[in-house]
Amino acid sequence: MDMMKWLWSLIRFRQRLAEPPKPQQGNAQFGGAFSAKLALNEQALRSAYSNCSDVIFHEFYIGNRTRALLVYIDGLTNIEEVDQHVLAPLQQDVPAHSLADIRGKIAVSSIKPIQTLTQVIEEISGGNPVLLVDHEQQALAIGLSKWDKRAIHEPSAESVLRGPREGFIESIRTNTALLRRKIRSPHLKIQTMNIGTYSVTPVAIAYLEGVAAPSLVKEVVDRLKRIEIDGILESVYIEELIEDDPRSPFPQLLSTERPDVASAYLLEGHVVVLVDGTPSVLIAPVTFFSLLQSPEDYYERFVVGTAIRWLRYLFFAISLLGPSFYIAVITYHQEMIPNALLLTMARSREQIPFPALIEALLMESMFEALREAGARLPKQIGTAVSIVGALVIGQAAIAAGIVSSPMVMVVAITGVASFMAPRFTVGISVRLLRFPMMLLAGILGLLGLIMGIIVILNHLFQLRSFGVPFMTPIAPMQTRGMNDVLWRAPRWMLTKRPHMTGAWNPVRQPPNQRPGPDRAKNGRDGS
Amino acid sequence: MNKGKAKGTLIGVLLFIPVALLSGCWDRTEVNDLAIITTGGLDMTEDRKLELLIKQYLVAPTSNQQSGGFSADMDVGSGSSIVRSAQGVTMADAVSHLQQVLSRKVFWGQNEVFIFGDRLAKEGLAEVMDYLTRHPIPRERANVFLSFSPVKEVLELHPPIERSVSQALRKMAENQTGLNISLKELAEMMAGRSKAAVIPIVQIMPKNGKQESFAYINGTAVLKDGKLVGRMNDAETRGIMWLRNEIKTATVTASPPHAKGPISLQLLRSHTELVPHIKKGNWSMTVRIETHDDIVENASELDFSTLDHIEELEHELENQIKRRIQMALGRAQSEMKADIFGFADAFYRKYPKEWNRNKDRWDDLFSNMEVNVQAKVYVSRPGVTGKSIFKPEQR
Repeated sequence: MDMMKWLWSLIRFRQRLAEPPKPQQGNAQFGGAFSAKLALNEQALRSAYSNCSDVIFHEFYIGNRTRALLVYIDGLTNIEEVDQHVLAPLQQDVPAHSLADIRGKIAVSSIKPIQTLTQVIEEISGGNPVLLVDHEQQALAIGLSKWDKRAIHEPSAESVLRGPREGFIESIRTNTALLRRKIRSPHLKIQTMNIGTYSVTPVAIAYLEGVAAPSLVKEVVDRLKRIEIDGILESVYIEELIEDDPRSPFPQLLSTERPDVASAYLLEGHVVVLVDGTPSVLIAPVTFFSLLQSPEDYYERFVVGTAIRWLRYLFFAISLLGPSFYIAVITYHQEMIPNALLLTMARSREQIPFPALIEALLMESMFEALREAGARLPKQIGTAVSIVGALVIGQAAIAAGIVSSPMVMVVAITGVASFMAPRFTVGISVRLLRFPMMLLAGILGLLGLIMGIIVILNHLFQLRSFGVPFMTPIAPMQTRGMNDVLWRAPRWMLTKRPHMTGAWNPVRQPPNQRPGPDRAKNGRDGS
Repeated sequence: MNKGKAKGTLIGVLLFIPVALLSGCWDRTEVNDLAIITTGGLDMTEDRKLELLIKQYLVAPTSNQQSGGFSADMDVGSGSSIVRSAQGVTMADAVSHLQQVLSRKVFWGQNEVFIFGDRLAKEGLAEVMDYLTRHPIPRERANVFLSFSPVKEVLELHPPIERSVSQALRKMAENQTGLNISLKELAEMMAGRSKAAVIPIVQIMPKNGKQESFAYINGTAVLKDGKLVGRMNDAETRGIMWLRNEIKTATVTASPPHAKGPISLQLLRSHTELVPHIKKGNWSMTVRIETHDDIVENASELDFSTLDHIEELEHELENQIKRRIQMALGRAQSEMKADIFGFADAFYRKYPKEWNRNKDRWDDLFSNMEVNVQAKVYVSRPGVTGKSIFKPEQR
């Protein structure tokens, strides 16, 4: 026990050391007072943007009299529009005395007066040119930001056969527009905040007012506000900082690149977090079963959707337990294998020098290595890797007598099964959990396998995502939610939202939407 | 709060690691370490020692390297199994001696067939049955057979179609042309109230020209108190099966007196009910058999589009079933005095007190019991062809 105490004191000491210094949030550090004298303001800005070669300070005179300064970042601003609609009208020899006069001259719809230096810097960093005028207490932010962005493509990680082909891109404004195009009601609220000391990344929280529980929205906003970080480069930064159990192998926020998926969750009362600079948005809260759903389930006929969903459940179990079950049975429980199968297996295993556990670990890690190598390589080399991989995993390994052919089959089936997971994050966490399961099965047989399953289930049942139990609707049991878990009920049966997120506004649509002859009319006609 | 939880988790993990590492894979047995026994044989030697014979599946692949990886060679026919034997005072003793002559661990878990020799059966199966049911590994679902020829000869057969002789015997038993008795059923019969058991007999069809010798099921051995007391031939076995309600497939051929030719019928379903009676100390048994049949062949002059002819046929069939049953019953009652039909259980269920009072003289009661067989045959589907259309004189 002394040993344990020492270990714990060590950990606590390290935790004390890790106490972070309070960083200054956003651009607030530059928050000097805004002066009426342009020279002072210019000096403050120039010192803030010292050694920034991409920041342009353009000095000119309005109506040849009033000195003015236009500050913008080259590459983030639409310079042609600025020249045409801002500089050209202002530089004409016309009297312009007040800021209101000047504002009237500028032919741009989005003009915002700003009062503080912090705001000035925020606007400039966001790409909006800022016009400072001498003797004025205010500056004007002109909404003419423009930079190069990717066109909207179908997300390659989440392709569907039927359904919309558009995907989110790196620009948050485009992404919110994509959401707004799906849900046009003003009830779609999009709150924005900036996160990151240096990156100052715009983060948007989208939710459907009147559908999403206000407590949930507040919780998400609160957790986002708690984040203190130097920069956000991908939404996973946020995911890791706001999830409920940071050590769990299972993702507690869903990430998607599809606006239709995000909209579907918005309609069920979830909250969507969009992060600038990445096409993947976060959805909170999620349940275990929503991680196993694919948009295609809902875009196919419900019978097909149900069948595919069952297939996915089956292969999820196989991807977690396939190799470990094989190891357990072949090293401890040979009597469980049907006679003919055992004889075939025994024959193929006869010359294999390794125990089944080593064999499986070898092949599984080989498979993971090939997958990783194939995923990171350019396409031209990737095919070479897959050919070599097929040889290594398949024929050559058996011919060389290193692995048995049943093991290759098990590894191949498991590999295919893990790619059945509609979310890559789920697939890969299950693939990782497979290795401890294999060790347990190799050490304790089916007993170990059961122990592993119990541990995983225990974890899953105590896990929560933003207060929603992860295994909803299995535990807590909700018969209504079963319609979307046990099978994919036809749309006219899904009249209520899922209980945990939709309780605020449970009715999705009125019942009796099942198509058919108009019952009310027929009744009246007496036919 | 969170720290306490994390501490608990860490302690749990730290405690679990030694569990895994210290125990290791100590009772791990790869399939390559197992001598997979497909058939077990038990007999008694001349000097009254128990002889255990096993047929071990040889897993070493034959030289078939050029076919490479995926096409696993399927040469599992002849020569892929060997027969080994060992002797011992008891079954466990014999198993341990068997282990001495095998490089791999004896593995009973896949054994599907046990064959007992007649000499051992005459001495009594009680001892070996104790081992086979007490030991956790042997399968209770394994089929049991009895052989009057040396067990080794049966084991050394190589059936041309099936993977091994055990597979062949098992499939024959499953076809239910004869009795299909598993180790569990044998144990139940031997330990049951009647103390009598039946085991199908396996026989070797000797080599005949190009026809290799092969094993098949023919007749039934009757055990009383675990000892072989007699054997029934094939026809009598059918009678036993009717009585035991085990008849599932049968083709019955009957020739009614005026039919001038035989008619064959196939059994659709059949049910046998044993109804025991005790009246004034007089024990008797009524056997009710109800069976539905289907005409498959008509070589007679009967026309099955008329009800009279069907009734005539049904009557003849009933008599035939009765004859078969009486044949088996007569031998079991008078000759062997072995209640192999489960009469004791039927009496116990209906008259438990009387049975308990009289169980010591059950053998006597059984052999003198009056058995009344009531067979009811329904020709359910005579079909639309009444007469045989291929006999020109009948047109």
